[in-house]
Amino acid sequence: MPERRGVVPTTAERLGRMLVVVPYLVRHPGTSVTEASALFDIPAEQLRRDLRLLMMSGLPPYGPGDLIDVDIDEDDEIWITMADHFARPLRLTRQEATAVRVRAAELMATPGVPEAPDLASAVAKLDATLGEAPIDAVSGTVAPPLLDEVAAAAAAHERLRITYVAASTGERTERTIDPESVFAELGNWYVVAWDDGAEDERLLRVDRVERVESTGVVFSPRGLQGAGRPLYRAGADDIVVRLSLGPASRWVAEYYATTAVEERDDGGVEVELPTRDLGWVAALLLRLGPDAEVIGPAELRERRRDMLRRTLAVYREQPGEPDV
Amino acid sequence: MSEIDAIDPLERLLNLVALLLDHGRPMTFDEIQDAMEGYEGSKATAKRKFERDKDVLREYDVPIETGTTDVLGGEIGYVISRDAYYLPEIDFTPAEITALFVAAQSGTAAAAASTAVRKLLYGADGGILSGAGGGPLVAGADTDAETVAAAADAAASRRRVTFGYRNAQGVVRDRDVDAYGVVFRRGHWYLVGADRERDEIRAFRLSRCTTRVADTGDGSSPPTGFQATDHVQGGPWEADAQDRAEVAFGDAAAALARSRFTGWERLDRASERRVILSLPMADEETMAALLLQFGPDAEVLGPASLRALVQDRLRDLAEAVDA
Repeated sequence: MPERRGVVPTTAERLGRMLVVVPYLVRHPGTSVTEASALFDIPAEQLRRDLRLLMMSGLPPYGPGDLIDVDIDEDDEIWITMADHFARPLRLTRQEATAVRVRAAELMATPGVPEAPDLASAVAKLDATLGEAPIDAVSGTVAPPLLDEVAAAAAAHERLRITYVAASTGERTERTIDPESVFAELGNWYVVAWDDGAEDERLLRVDRVERVESTGVVFSPRGLQGAGRPLYRAGADDIVVRLSLGPASRWVAEYYATTAVEERDDGGVEVELPTRDLGWVAALLLRLGPDAEVIGPAELRERRRDMLRRTLAVYREQPGEPDV
Repeated sequence: MSEIDAIDPLERLLNLVALLLDHGRPMTFDEIQDAMEGYEGSKATAKRKFERDKDVLREYDVPIETGTTDVLGGEIGYVISRDAYYLPEIDFTPAEITALFVAAQSGTAAAAASTAVRKLLYGADGGILSGAGGGPLVAGADTDAETVAAAADAAASRRRVTFGYRNAQGVVRDRDVDAYGVVFRRGHWYLVGADRERDEIRAFRLSRCTTRVADTGDGSSPPTGFQATDHVQGGPWEADAQDRAEVAFGDAAAALARSRFTGWERLDRASERRVILSLPMADEETMAALLLQFGPDAEVLGPASLRALVQDRLRDLAEAVDA
């Protein structure tokens, strides 16, 4: 139970974590204060203080042999004996059991997570001991072929040359990137990187990396934000697109980053999408058909008309393979 | 500081837990007061302090129960059952506990998951920190942890729940569902259960709930052979789809298509400078929509019905926008 930093923990919080920390320390004699502090997210000084108090606890009435014996030796290692009552931890509460399975399911449904097989066997052991829970995961995707290479480069801070196909422009580019962190969100893998040519940070989809070439150059990380960052960051050159969408197209408001969403009376929505590029929006509009109306900018209407003409032209000919 | 507070409350609570675990049968408050330090002073004050301590223990789910003591007259007493208190032994390998540790730290912070794993750490063989370096791997789901937990708990105890729900078409309506399971797929959590109004099993994306998931009583058991995952829809390109579409892509578009459609196969034709892919297709409407998003960079070659559908959609749009 991590406490809020800088806030004095209540007695209840201190009790809660002692009941969890002490069994671990009894079972793992000689654990260092530093390690226990990191594992249980308790400031070292607080841990020392609470362990000293533990020494005065024990089974009443206190004969000399009934007190818990705590020793923190000169190597800062913790030795606890005579703590029979606290030699095993408390059961998981239902909320805790649910929470850990929910987290595990999220990881297991993400293909390419190296811990997934161990997680699956850990959850199977939880099921066998605590009872099964109706919490399932299905992946629906496969791991990007170059995930391991990109993740290894990020871990080693190694600069990469890559071939990348951007969905926003449909263009294939060669880039030199400093990959800082790799994470999955909504079933897709991303790499946060410094793009050397653009001289800016970029969030790239790992499944759209076609080729990776190592450079042997080690870079210093710039501390770019990893998992949990918004998938789209507004920039100074952004174009603001406004669309009015029928009910069948309202998924657009759930799927893409928006700056405003207004409900229409008929179950549709009016959305404001910031974007660096109009190309992908025009393509999206082809998919949405007459259900989507462009409020602005006018250039987007032009782009849609142009893309529509070019697509119609593709179909004006007989199909490339008439025997299909 | 008064004499009553001379002992640190943490010490008093730890002693109380040890005492009630050890005694094995209910103890009256008088017995507790005699057995340990910390409840001295007037009976009323000491009892109030004991009541507060009991609340603290319950806050951390220490299973302190009341029972009738064997004192003549059957006074109320307090006990902590060892079976209810202790976590059963689970032998995790270091890799398993590391994986759980990584999972708990992943996504949006959930204190309950961290506490759970810290309890489970006890059964680990050490070497945990060495494996659990680095930042979080997987960003959070699109649903807050509380809503997922409420749905999962309802399913675990076969409860009936109601909630406001906005369907994919934007229509908001109250739903009345017997909860059977929760499923995570591609960043979304779904509640699967029997929709009482429609009398069929459906999946509800939890991020589309417009209210909390509220418990309204006993639910029902799922039919035999029920698999929650069967009810969470895959994309039209799922590998178990019956039909296939044949599509010619421009070079860069083909790369995007390969990352978007699982189960693609490449069909090479010498006569074509484009890349031809065969894609699994469960439903033509959805496939047409997805391919339209490639604009002039994708041409449906077959089946003829899909090609005609794409052409119809293009003509409809052309009419609407006067192209």
